[in-house]
Amino acid sequence: MIEFGVDTRDDGIGVVTPEGRLNMVSARRLKEILSELVANGTTRIVVDLGETSFLDSSGLGALVGGLKSARQAGGDLRIARVSPAVMTVFELTNLDRVLRARESVEAAFDD
Amino acid sequence: MTSHVESLRDPDVEERRQRAVESLQILGPGKDERYERITRLARLLFDVSRTSITVLDGERAWFPSSQGFDVDEVPRSESFCDQATDLGRLLVVEDTAADERFKHLQLVRDGAVRFYAGHPLRDAIGNVVGVFCLYDSKPRTLEGELLDAFRDMAAWAEQELVSSTEMSQAGRVQASLLPSKPIRVGEWDVNGLCLPALAVGGDFYDYGVLNGVVHLALGDVMGKGTGAALVGAGARAAIRGTNSAVTAGVDLGVTATQVARSLLADLERAESFVTLFQTAIDLDDGYTRYVDAGSGLCLVVTPEGETIRLDSDDRPFGILPEDHWSEHELTLEPGARMLVFSDGLLDLIDDPMEWWVPIGELMREAADADALLASVARLTRERTPLDDVTAVAVFRRHEGVP
Repeated sequence: MIEFGVDTRDDGIGVVTPEGRLNMVSARRLKEILSELVANGTTRIVVDLGETSFLDSSGLGALVGGLKSARQAGGDLRIARVSPAVMTVFELTNLDRVLRARESVEAAFDD
Repeated sequence: MTSHVESLRDPDVEERRQRAVESLQILGPGKDERYERITRLARLLFDVSRTSITVLDGERAWFPSSQGFDVDEVPRSESFCDQATDLGRLLVVEDTAADERFKHLQLVRDGAVRFYAGHPLRDAIGNVVGVFCLYDSKPRTLEGELLDAFRDMAAWAEQELVSSTEMSQAGRVQASLLPSKPIRVGEWDVNGLCLPALAVGGDFYDYGVLNGVVHLALGDVMGKGTGAALVGAGARAAIRGTNSAVTAGVDLGVTATQVARSLLADLERAESFVTLFQTAIDLDDGYTRYVDAGSGLCLVVTPEGETIRLDSDDRPFGILPEDHWSEHELTLEPGARMLVFSDGLLDLIDDPMEWWVPIGELMREAADADALLASVARLTRERTPLDDVTAVAVFRRHEGVP
């Protein structure tokens, strides 16, 4: 099982922090969290992957799904603090240019 | 708290066991009625205060289903099932307070659990993935017909946890969709294998020869299990439809883009995506064209022993509607070998960051395609895969070498 930290900052940006392994079961939960945020008007979301040790294709799917719905609602989804091991998953699938990794959560929406 | 039984734990067995637990993807506490009805019935039948199906996951023991108590998880060291898992056989403790292994546990000292019976639940290859448990607040026995009934219910719980008949039938159907025999033409040798982590999986591969050209495709649908298998069957059929065009020389970027367009609506509805590696190899001269849709998992070892990664900048199918794909080319010289595989294999190697080094080494060591696939299969046996593992090997011998 995996824990999710969910936090909406003063500037309206939602920060979701999955802690542990993001696999098929936990990706389902992540997808729900992301759609709830967008449905409730938080369309700018940072997923902080600093506490995520493992990410499989279902995890990727949840992030891509979240990205699509955030953009449709006029916002964006960005990922931050990606470990080198998890980064290889984005690089292999060439999704690193759709979901560009940011150094820090704070600065994820600075550009 | 450590106990003397902890020394029973073999780190290799424990690592395999842990991976097996992770591959099962069991639903959270109380969510699965299939387990709930077993623990409910057991509480009534055995007249005990508590029952559970327990899974040891890392340092935690958690309960996919439990009756008579309201806790979702406990530290592994505080659980009764720690011992039953390590022993790997039925454990009946008639008085926990009189047993060295259990008398220190908080629940025993509180008087809440004075009787414990645990039966290990194993997956198809024997890993202990869970324990079926009875607990009572007073010492008691479990003998004769009741003991037999406990074993029966454990077998039932095991089946619910690990598999069902319908799924194993689906697995046979899926396996029958794969090519049934290798290609052996001239100096060429092509063979593949697909080992789903669950009964059915989201990986698929296909190959054949048309017009003197080998066509080969390996796809991986997001996720695993039945949903991924259904999407995979559709993708496989769409890709098959391009074989005659591809082997006649049509650009693989064009056919891949057509396939992606035709799958897009289905993939968006299913909220899924597919990675694909597809190649066409001319048997006469080894001229090879390929397209890569976010797979990135193809290696060629040249006759000189150099490892080349065949990848691209193109994304998987189902990500962006306006994406398109492009063809790349190279030549497989006599003595060259190629391995196309799914990311499940990356889980099984020690250094997934520089995976092409150990996998390139496996390719150099193998005498032929079958030997390479055998070493991939050995890795999956040694380290229980978390995801489907699929691989197709292409070997071109030196001319005149049998």
